[in-house]
Amino acid sequence: MVVAQQQKDGAFQLLVGKIDDVLQYAIGDPMRYLANWGRLYSLWPVHLETACCSVEIGAAAGSRFDMERFGALEAFGSLRQCDLLIVMGTVTRKLAPRLKLVYDQMAEPKWVIAMGACSITGGLYFDSYNVLRGIDDVIPVDVYVPGCPPRAEAFLQGLVLLQEKIRRAPSLSGR
Amino acid sequence: MTVQAEYSPDADRIMSVSLGPQHPGAGHFRIKLWLDGDYVVRSEPDAGYVHRGEEKMGEYRNYIQNVPHLERPVILDSSNILFPYALGVDELMNLKVPQRGQYLRVIMSEANRIISHMYFIAIQGLFLGHTTLITWCMGDRDFWIDFAERIGGARVTFAYIIPGGVRNDIPPGAIKKGLETCDWFDKRMDEYEKIFFQNPMVHQRSDGIGVLSRDDAIAFGATGTVARASGLAVDVRKDEPYSAYEDFEFKTPVMTQGDVYARSYVALLDMRESVKIIRQALKKLPQGPVRLKLGPQPRVPAGEVYSRTEAARGEMSYYIVSDGSPRPYRLKIGVPSAKNLGVLPHLLRNVHVADIPPIYWGLNYWPVESDR
Repeated sequence: MVVAQQQKDGAFQLLVGKIDDVLQYAIGDPMRYLANWGRLYSLWPVHLETACCSVEIGAAAGSRFDMERFGALEAFGSLRQCDLLIVMGTVTRKLAPRLKLVYDQMAEPKWVIAMGACSITGGLYFDSYNVLRGIDDVIPVDVYVPGCPPRAEAFLQGLVLLQEKIRRAPSLSGR
Repeated sequence: MTVQAEYSPDADRIMSVSLGPQHPGAGHFRIKLWLDGDYVVRSEPDAGYVHRGEEKMGEYRNYIQNVPHLERPVILDSSNILFPYALGVDELMNLKVPQRGQYLRVIMSEANRIISHMYFIAIQGLFLGHTTLITWCMGDRDFWIDFAERIGGARVTFAYIIPGGVRNDIPPGAIKKGLETCDWFDKRMDEYEKIFFQNPMVHQRSDGIGVLSRDDAIAFGATGTVARASGLAVDVRKDEPYSAYEDFEFKTPVMTQGDVYARSYVALLDMRESVKIIRQALKKLPQGPVRLKLGPQPRVPAGEVYSRTEAARGEMSYYIVSDGSPRPYRLKIGVPSAKNLGVLPHLLRNVHVADIPPIYWGLNYWPVESDR
């Protein structure tokens, strides 16, 4: 009697598993694509200027390069609404804990663009006593945009690369 | 608009708030505020988020290697921070820079002043709730960047003014293009006046806010646009003419109100003078070489020098000590932002919270420059 019940349960679970697979195939994949497609055209950057690359962000958000046509706003919103952290240049020892704090306060899913040579390796300031040699030790980075400072076009290319990465994200969480 | 309660630590009404380092507008800077409702009772700036040790780095690079990293602190105004450095090294090495090189230095310096002031006015418009101005200024700034890029080869960091002259000659066609840009920009500035500076809404929002009196400007040692908006006619280009500035006709714009409006308007008047200087310099650009030949690692005779110029934000100065080796023994940068920072706690008292951004940005304060 018990054995028959167990067999029945097992068959039921197998059936549920199969249905789950079918649903995952039929709905999950399109859902993942749809959710990530929605995310990639509404990137909302945190306005955390860490150093001088912010000038080129200003130019990219200005009327000639117009970052907004790629779906990224030059935002002045709350950290809780933001999903993109652009690290604009040098991160010093005093700023690094604050950068981590800002990153931790953002809600998932979130992405990071490291802009400029300083945020990638320390750049010109590699031998300065107060500068971090790259921000990888503090927060994870999705896209690196090299240059000192990167031109506004280079930054926009980095943004498009990040959008491509989000489009191809393997899971619904966008990572 | 006066606050009854003066700050005392045990007053229950007083709330302390930290503005920054992530905040709308310029980041990398924090202001500690003590608020009584909507009024700022006391404030304390907290700088140093972008201290990169430029002065120490200057001591283990030679005089030519110092050029690229010295222009990074004030990237908007990169030629003007190199100008006093080049003048100082020229004086130590006793170099006579050719006249064409002097003129090109002036042209690049004034183009950078316009680029810097355009950014300043753009963000000031944003802080006063005038978003038209930021789109206009950011777009028009790019035409001046085009002109500077044609000469210097980069969008913002040119490394153009170097010890011994300028890095390269002006390319063919740049003079015509520069004169066209000057003519176009003169008309464009009239439109700025109409849409922003004569706008009654802007007047209501910025007149009489953050007033710095003439005496206070002297006491705090303010320079540049801040001092000139308070009726203090300080301009190193006039007071102590350097390079080729004696050859040009221009005025030092001065306003007397000393409020946020005057500090924004002085920047526009400054740009008008810069356009005049660029036009004169392009028209009578002398022929000849643009730089003196220096070795890759020039040895500078022992001695010390203090050099100063007028940058976009105010007086930019260097104190260089040489001990006869290829590297400076001491390199001290005196930047205008650091001089104007002292004014901020004085102005942020008995003002509304909504007035903090225009007052802060009106000082033309750039944290990267101040922290060096």
